[in-house]
Amino acid sequence: MIKRVLLILLIVAVFLFPLIVLVFYTFAPGWSYPDLIPKILHTGGLQYVWSQHEKILRSLLTSFVYSLLVILCTFLISIFPASVFARSDFRAKKFLESLALAPALVPAITFSVGIHYLFIKTGISDSLLGVVLVLSIFSYPYMLRSLTSGFLAFGVEYEVCARNLGAGILQRLFMVDLPLLLPSIVAGSTVVFLVAFSEYFLVFLIGGGSVESYTGYLFPFLNSSDRAVASLLTLIFMVIPILLFFLVDETVTLVYRKRGML
Amino acid sequence: MRDRAVVYLKLSPLLLPFAVIFSTGIFLAFLQSLGYFLPIPVQGGLFAAYRSLFRSLWFYQDFAFTLYCAFCSALLSVSVGTALAYGIWRLPIGLQKIGVLTKIPLILPHIAVAFIVLMFFSKTGYISSFLFQAGIIESAEEFPPILFGGRGWGIILAYVYKEVPFVVLLVSSVLKKFEYARILTAQMLGASRLTVFFRVVFPFLTPVVNTSFIILFLYSFGAFDIPFLLGESHPGMLSIQVYNLYFKRDLMNRPSAMAILVVMFLFSLVFIYLYSRLAARLEREGRKL
Repeated sequence: MIKRVLLILLIVAVFLFPLIVLVFYTFAPGWSYPDLIPKILHTGGLQYVWSQHEKILRSLLTSFVYSLLVILCTFLISIFPASVFARSDFRAKKFLESLALAPALVPAITFSVGIHYLFIKTGISDSLLGVVLVLSIFSYPYMLRSLTSGFLAFGVEYEVCARNLGAGILQRLFMVDLPLLLPSIVAGSTVVFLVAFSEYFLVFLIGGGSVESYTGYLFPFLNSSDRAVASLLTLIFMVIPILLFFLVDETVTLVYRKRGML
Repeated sequence: MRDRAVVYLKLSPLLLPFAVIFSTGIFLAFLQSLGYFLPIPVQGGLFAAYRSLFRSLWFYQDFAFTLYCAFCSALLSVSVGTALAYGIWRLPIGLQKIGVLTKIPLILPHIAVAFIVLMFFSKTGYISSFLFQAGIIESAEEFPPILFGGRGWGIILAYVYKEVPFVVLLVSSVLKKFEYARILTAQMLGASRLTVFFRVVFPFLTPVVNTSFIILFLYSFGAFDIPFLLGESHPGMLSIQVYNLYFKRDLMNRPSAMAILVVMFLFSLVFIYLYSRLAARLEREGRKL
C-alpha cells in the first residue's frame, strides 16, 4: 500500500510538478532564489508574449506546416515498402529492412551536415523543401515500422478477396488497405509529428534561419535570465500536439463508428 | 523474375531518397574529410584531417566524454524506465491511468527538457531553493555544481528525463502481453519480489530492453540539442565540436569536422553490430539454462 502511494507521488513529483513550476514562472517573472513560491505575481511575461503574438503564431504555423508535410512525405515513402516488407519474401529482405531503419539509429548529424553541401549546391537549403526532405529522412523509419506491423496485423486475405471481386489496385488501396491501416497510420504519424515538430538542430542547419520554426524562436529565450517568457512559450509548445492528438483521436473514432468498424 | 522486379519497384520510393539523401550525405562527409568538394582547397594530402585528429588529445578526451554521457544516460533511462513501467503495470487497473503523466516529456522538445533541468538543478534552481528552505544548505554556493561541473551530469539528467518515458512506453506495450499468472505461480513456489522480477519478468523483457538501449545510446551519442544548451566546451560532446568546427571556426577546419562525423558514423555501425551479436549470444545462453 505504502509502496503504491510512494510510486504515485514519485510520478506526480517528477512528471507533473515541473509543469506546475512552469505555470508559476509564467505569472512571476521576478521569481527569485530562494523562494519556493513566488512572492509577487504579475503579467509582464504574458504581456510580452502577447505583444509578439504575430511572430509566435507565424513560427508555430511554419513548424506545424512542415511537420504535416513530413508526415505526408514519410507516408508516401513508406506505404509500398511496408507492404513489401510485411508480405513478400526475398533474399535481401532482412538486410534491406535493417538498412532502412538506419537513419533513425545513426546520429542524424552524420548525414545532415554532409547533405547540407548538396542542398546548398542545388539551392534547396534555406527552403521549406530542404527542411521537409531532411526531416523526412530522419523520421520515416518510425512510419515504416508502424505501417509494416499494421500490414502484418491483418494479413493479405482481405486484399485477395477484393481482387477476386474485381477491385483494381487503387480501389484496393483506398477501400481495403488504408481503412484497415488507419490505426497504424495514426500511430506512425504521431511519432513523426513529434519528432519533426520538436527538432531544433536539423531545421536550424538546413533551414538556415530563413525557415522559421517554433523551436528556433524558443531557443534564445531558454538561455535568458527572464524565465517567464521561456516558460510560457514551452507551455504553448505542448498545447499544439495535445490538441492535435485529441482531435485526431476523436475523428478516427467517429470515422470508424460511421463505417460500422467499431 | 517479374515478381522480383515488382518488389524492387515497390521499394523504390524508399530506396531512392535513402540513396540520394542518407547515403550521399555520409559519402559527401567522407569526401570532404579527404579534402574534396571543399569551399577552399586545403593542403596536407588525403588523410591529413584524420592524422591531425588522431594526434590530438582533445579528440580522445571528447570521444571518451561522449561515450560516458551516452552510456550513463542510456543505462539509467533503461533501468529507471523498466522499473517504472513494471511498477505502473503492477498497480490496480484504476490507478494505472497515472501512467499517462509519464508521457509529458515525450511531447516536450529536447530543448525544453534541457530548460526544465536548468530550472531545477542550477545553483539557484528550484531544488537548491528547497534545500535552502529546509536548512540543508546555507547559501546557493553550497549547492553542488551539477550543471556545468565538467562531469556531464546536466546532459545525462536531461537525456534521462526525456528518455525514461520512451522506455516506459515500449516496455509497457510488451508487458501487456505478459501473463500475470506466471507471477502468481512463481510467488506460490516461494519466489521473492526481486526474484520474480529478475527471473520471471525480466527475461521476457530483454529484447525490448536491448532495442531501447541501442536506440537511446546512439541518440545521446550523436544528438545536438541538449548538449548545446547544457554542455561545456571542454570536455565536450563530439556533436558540439563538429558544430564549432563547421560553423564557428574558419573553413580550414571543415575536413576535421567531417572526419569526426565519419568516425561517429563508423562507430555507430560497429556498436550496432557488436551489441546485437552480444545480445543474441546472451539470449542463446539464457535459453540453454
